[in-house]
Formats: sequence, C-alpha cells, structure tokens
Amino acid sequence: MNAQLIERLGAVIGGVVVAVVAFYALYKDWQATGIENQVFKLMLVLLGVGAVLALLAGLNIVGFAPKGA
Amino acid sequence: MSVAAIGADAHDGVDQLYVETRELRLQGFLLFLISDCVLFSSFIFAYLYLRNSGQGWPPPGIQRLDVAFAAWNSVVLFGSGATMHYALENFKHGNFMKYMWFLLATIVLGAGFLGGQAYEYNHLIFGEHVTWWGSGIFGASFFTLTGMHGLHVFFGVCYLSVLVLQSAAGVYTKGKFFGITAGTLYWHFVDVIWVVLFSIFYLI
Amino acid sequence: MAVAAVPAGGIADHIHPEPQGFVRRYVFSLDHKIIGIQYIITAFVFMVLAGLLAEVIRTQLLNANGGFVAPETYNEVYSVHGSAMIWLVIIPLLTGGFGNLVFPLQIGARDVAFPWLNMLSFWIFPVAGLMLFSSFLMGAPTAGWMEYPPVSLQGAAGTSMWAAAIFLVGVSSTMTGINFVVTILKMRAPGMTFTRMPLFVWGQFATAPLLMIATTALAAALAALFIERQFGVPFFDPTKGGSPVMWQHMFWFYSHPAVYIMILPAFGIISEVLPTFSRKPIFGYKLIAFSSMAIALAGFMVWAHHMFTSGLAPFLQLPFMIITFLIGVPTGIKIFSWTATLWRGKIHYTTAMLFAIGFVGLFTLGGITGIFLAAIPFDLHVHGTYFIVGHIHYVLVGGSLMGVFAGMYYWFPKMSGRLLNETLGKLHFWLFFIGFNGTFIPMHWLGMLGMPREVATYDPQFTFWNRFESVSSYLMTFAILIFFVNVLWSIRNGKRSGPNPWGARTLEWQIPSPPHYYNFKHIPTVYGLPYDFSQPLPYKGLEEELTDSPPPVAAGAH
Repeated sequence: MNAQLIERLGAVIGGVVVAVVAFYALYKDWQATGIENQVFKLMLVLLGVGAVLALLAGLNIVGFAPKGA
Repeated sequence: MSVAAIGADAHDGVDQLYVETRELRLQGFLLFLISDCVLFSSFIFAYLYLRNSGQGWPPPGIQRLDVAFAAWNSVVLFGSGATMHYALENFKHGNFMKYMWFLLATIVLGAGFLGGQAYEYNHLIFGEHVTWWGSGIFGASFFTLTGMHGLHVFFGVCYLSVLVLQSAAGVYTKGKFFGITAGTLYWHFVDVIWVVLFSIFYLI
Repeated sequence: MAVAAVPAGGIADHIHPEPQGFVRRYVFSLDHKIIGIQYIITAFVFMVLAGLLAEVIRTQLLNANGGFVAPETYNEVYSVHGSAMIWLVIIPLLTGGFGNLVFPLQIGARDVAFPWLNMLSFWIFPVAGLMLFSSFLMGAPTAGWMEYPPVSLQGAAGTSMWAAAIFLVGVSSTMTGINFVVTILKMRAPGMTFTRMPLFVWGQFATAPLLMIATTALAAALAALFIERQFGVPFFDPTKGGSPVMWQHMFWFYSHPAVYIMILPAFGIISEVLPTFSRKPIFGYKLIAFSSMAIALAGFMVWAHHMFTSGLAPFLQLPFMIITFLIGVPTGIKIFSWTATLWRGKIHYTTAMLFAIGFVGLFTLGGITGIFLAAIPFDLHVHGTYFIVGHIHYVLVGGSLMGVFAGMYYWFPKMSGRLLNETLGKLHFWLFFIGFNGTFIPMHWLGMLGMPREVATYDPQFTFWNRFESVSSYLMTFAILIFFVNVLWSIRNGKRSGPNPWGARTLEWQIPSPPHYYNFKHIPTVYGLPYDFSQPLPYKGLEEELTDSPPPVAAGAH
C-alpha cells in the first residue's frame, strides 16, 4: 500500500505541475501562427488534459473499476 | 549519411531552397503522424469492439490493472512532453545549454516511462493471474496497443539521442533546426496517444 | 490578376546535375518518370502472372465438375489472383505508375516532394509481390482475397506470407500517398491554383489521402491477423473471445476506399483523354473535380455494404445502404459530364479514345450493378454469387483496366518518343471489348440464378454460360497479348511522336518526348485551365523548352 501512496502522490503532484506548465505554455504561445504552431497548441491542450486525467486518477476520482459478472 | 552531414550545408541567412524544402518536410511529417494516428485508431477500434462484445470487463481470470502506478508513469511521460516543449523553446531563443539540458531530461523521462512500462508488464505477467499477449482479448488488445506505443516511445528516445549527438556536433543552427521541430512533434504525438490509451485502459 | 513569379533560388530553380551511370539512372533512380515506368513494367509483369491465374480459374470452370486443378489448389488460385490484381497490378499502375509518370509534369514540377521516398516506395513493391507469389511454395492463402477468419486463421503458412506481403505493399502505398499530397499542395507551378489543375491531378489528389489513411487501417488488420496466426494473440477467433465480424469491419474499412483508389485515377485519365480527342473543353470541370473529392470522402462511410449478410443489426445497415446510393450521384455527374464533353465534339477515334469511350460505357454498367447491390434486399440474394464477380470485373476491368490502356496509348509517346501502333491498338481494343463483355456479362444472371463465387465446381445447369465465359476470356487474354506485342515492338520501331502528337494542352505535352530529366528548363507560369481549345495555351515561359539550349544547372551538390 505504501508504494501505492507514493505513486498516487507522484501522480497528483506531477499532474498538477505538468498541467500548469502545459496550459501556461499554451497561453504564452496562443498568438503563434503557422501550421506547426497550431499543431503544437493542439498537442499542448491534449497534454494538459492528460495531466489532469492523471491527477484525477491519482486522487481516485476516475479510475478503472472492474464491471460485469 | 553521416550524422554531421545532415544539415551540413546549413548557413545562416535566407536560403530559399531550405525554406521550401522545410515546408515540404513539415507537411510530409505531419501527414505521417496522421497515418500513424490511423494505425492506433484501428487498434483502438478493435479493443473497444472486443471489449463491448458482452463478456464483462476485465474478462474473468485477468490480473487487475494498477491505476495508481499507471497514473504516475503517465505523469512521467507527460512531464517529458513538457521538457521537450521547453527544449525547443530554448533552442529557438538561442539558449543552447538549456536546450541540451531539457532535451536530456526528456530522454531520461522517456526512458523512465519505458522502465515503468516494463514494471507494469512484469506485474501483469507475473502477478497472481498470469496475463500475457495470448491471454484472451484482454491480453491481445492491451499488450498490442501499449506495446505498439512503447515501441514508438523507444524509437522516439533513440531519435532524441541522435538529436543530442547532432546538436553537440553543431548541426543545428538558429535558422535550420527542422530535425528538432520534427522530434518535438513526434514526441508530443507519442504523448497524446498515451493520453488516449491511458484513458481507455485504465480509466474506463 | 497578378501571378507571382517563380521564387528565385527555390526548388523550381534548382536543377541538379544529371545522374550518371546505368544504376543511378535506371535502377535506383530518383526521377519520378523512371520510377513511374518501373512501376508500370513491374505491375504488368504481375498482371501476366495474375492473368495466368485467371485463366486457370476459367479453365477449371469449363466443366461443372472441374477437374483441371484440385479444389484446394483452385482456392489458392483465386485468392492470389484477386490479391495480386488489386494490390500488385491496378493500384500500383494507377498510383505509382501513371501518378508518378504524369502529374508532376502536369503541375509544372521538377519531381515529387520526396524523390528518395518515392524510390523506396517503388523498390518495396516488387519485393512484396515476390513475397505474395512465394506463398504458393508454402500453401497459398485459400480464403479469397478477403481472407475472412476463422478460415484464414486455419490456413497454411502462405496466409501469413500473404498478410506480410500486403502489409509491405501497403507501406509503399502509404508513403506514395504522403508524397503525392505534399507534392500537389506545395509544388504546383506559379499561377496554377487548384481550379486550374488538370483533372488527372485532381484524380491523384483525391486518391492520395485514401492511400495514406485507408491503407494504414488495412495494415492494422493484417498485423492483427498475422500476430493472431503466429503468436496466438486472439483478435478474431470466436473461441477465444475474438470476433470474425470485427475482421470484416477492419478489412472493409480499408477495402472500400481501396476501390476508389482503383478508380479515381482512371477517372482522371479519362478526363484528359476525352477532351483532347473531342477537341472540346471538358464539360463540368469543377463538377468533375469536386465530385472526385466527394467520392473519396464518402468512400469512407460505406464499408459495411460489403457486410449485409454478416448479421449486423438492420438499423445499422440502413445508413450504409443510403450513403452507397448517394455515391452514385457524384459518379453519375461525372458520366454526364464526360458524355457532354463528347457531344458535338470533333471526335478523333484513336485507340486511347476508344478505350476512354469504352470506359464510360462499361464503367456505367458496372456502376449501375453497384447501385443494385446497394439495395439490401437485392444484395442479400446475390451476395457471394457470380453477380458480385460480374460487378467487380465491370468496374475494375471495364473501368480501371480500360483506363490504364487509355493512359498507355495516350502517354506512351510522351515517355518513349514513339507512338504505339494504331492498327494493333484497334485490334487490341475490339478483341478486348468483345472478349471482356463475353466473359463478364453472363456472370450477372449466373449469380442471380444462384451460382456461388469462389467455388471449384458448380451445378451443371450453369455449364453453357461458364464455357461461353471461359472462351471469351481466352479472347480477352489474346487481346492483351497483342497489347504487349505492340508495346515491345513500338519501343524500337514505333513512329516518332514529337512533343505533342495529340495536340493536347496540358503541360506535359509542351516539352520534348521523352522529357529531359529536369522536366522543364524554366518552370512556367499558368494563367488558366488547359482545356479551352479555342484559346492560346495559358502558359508563359515555355519558349525554350523545345529548343536545344542547355538547362540552367545548379553548380555543385545541393
């Protein structure tokens, strides 16, 4: 269980850090033009979303629970 | 083609030929990423289709997935995405040393993710319920998809390592650094695929 | 409207020195024209092999109880025949072959965007083809070109080889698709907006995304089948929780767009040949261009019309039926446009034109039977019968292959500097036309009467028409032989064509035949559509192309 706690803690803290970094970078680069920058912006959004999901998973708010018989 | 020769004719100042071929390479690379997306999407379709075929999930006798560990490992990979972003930023602003540090950090984190995947596989294969590639549709979809992703991460780590060597040799300059841009695009792509895989295997 | 000049120092200005040595010029060539010819030659070699397999089929079917080959061998024969014709003949001919050969010239480019990738794409192709045919040595696939599980899971080793071979040729296709999209997006001559592009280029532009996207989906399906067969990873085996119907979804998601890959470039060829030999602008240029894109897009939404008997819920089947009907609309628009192009034109009945007109008629028939098949009640009756075989050969042979022949007669002079013999050509056309129809028309009623496809024997009541078909097929094969003789003879002895034997107006005809390795001395500027015969040519900057002046070659390596 201890390992679990460390992992969860890591996921939560790391998730917060990465999400903040990603969305901040997105905010700073919002005006950039050119197709590669549009792609980067899209990817930063998805990266931020991923970090948020990892954070929520660490907090046990979302997460795989076995279903069915 | 030797490592140093790539971009060896680089020189600063507007090089029309470079500008045009860079446009081509960028578009070609983006299209390649799209087709890679289709590849993953096809297997994701297969996974969701099989999962929905009414047997309950996970099927009986399958090792439970460790969501906490996967969440942590995911953060490691996402972190590498952030460091790669800053690597490119720093290169564009001329901060070569910072660029190199962030690039190395990305490689370390990426390799760390792979190590985490190895640990996860170990947990599944040698856990209470042995779960491997042939273990029914769970093993088929899980190991195929995460394995494909892991391979992509591995190739990415290799490519980024080559970038380190090339950058040290002075191949990239402020006007010509498409190799770094492409590496960043690829690395973000691999991250984004993992967002999807993490969600569909561990969160639903 | 001011048209931007060619940017100085860019790709258009950049003529590299001519490659030296036989290997660099003709074997590992980076030149799209040489690569295109390599594709065409290789594809024709595979066509001979796959055609021989077809004649094995037809000879087996001379008798109701077969007897020419063992039933298991027969299964191998039709499986490899279908696979080879689709993946080693028609698709490479139309995309890697004519695509590479013609459209870069038509857009005023020096080459495609990624010549090295182009070369790699080509060389994968003969390797993959050899792999496919080598499957005969280890028990070739026996479940048809569609290789449905569970039968394909039980096949001999050749089925895995099949999967690997098609996967490989798919990689080649995907790379070609990426190459072509970027080339068309980025390397058109100054002034050549999308609505000034020749229609053959539109055909390739509609096809290239399909090559890129659909083929990758097939790669996934093949990879899954391969790892299931080789490593026991269950995707499709129902006893292990897998789903055979899932294979059908994954397979047809690619294979339906694949049929558009096989026809859209041919539509492009016809759209070039018809106006040239009617001496009239193509009717409905924008209609044809945009309907090609519409067909390409809609092609992704109809795959389950191949699965009407697979037990899908009816409410799921209905949208596929409806969208399939709807695809008939842009297709019909094209047919009407081509007919209107011919209307009151000054028709020159060259062999290329005969094949083009034949295409319009035969493809229409094939398309109409396709509309029949879109109707679920009808399809339920004829699925898996010879009606389907008739339909597919009308669109793929009466359509695509006739388009290929039209393209050959049209562009052979551009690539070789010599005309194909018109007498042999007309003989080829008429014998082929008669033989083709004799072979494939009866299949429609045989199918409706219940003769199943992919079976080595049949009910004796079908004997007469099967024999009729087989004899007709021998005539068709003989006609194709005449074509090959024509090509081989004309390379040496054909009448010299000069740069523009047809008086055509697209860019490839404004340079020498065969073109120099650099295509154009100076990239021209384009001012309009090429098709208006009453106007002067809409290009500027082509004055030096047909003279002997040397090209402005860039000094040193690039």
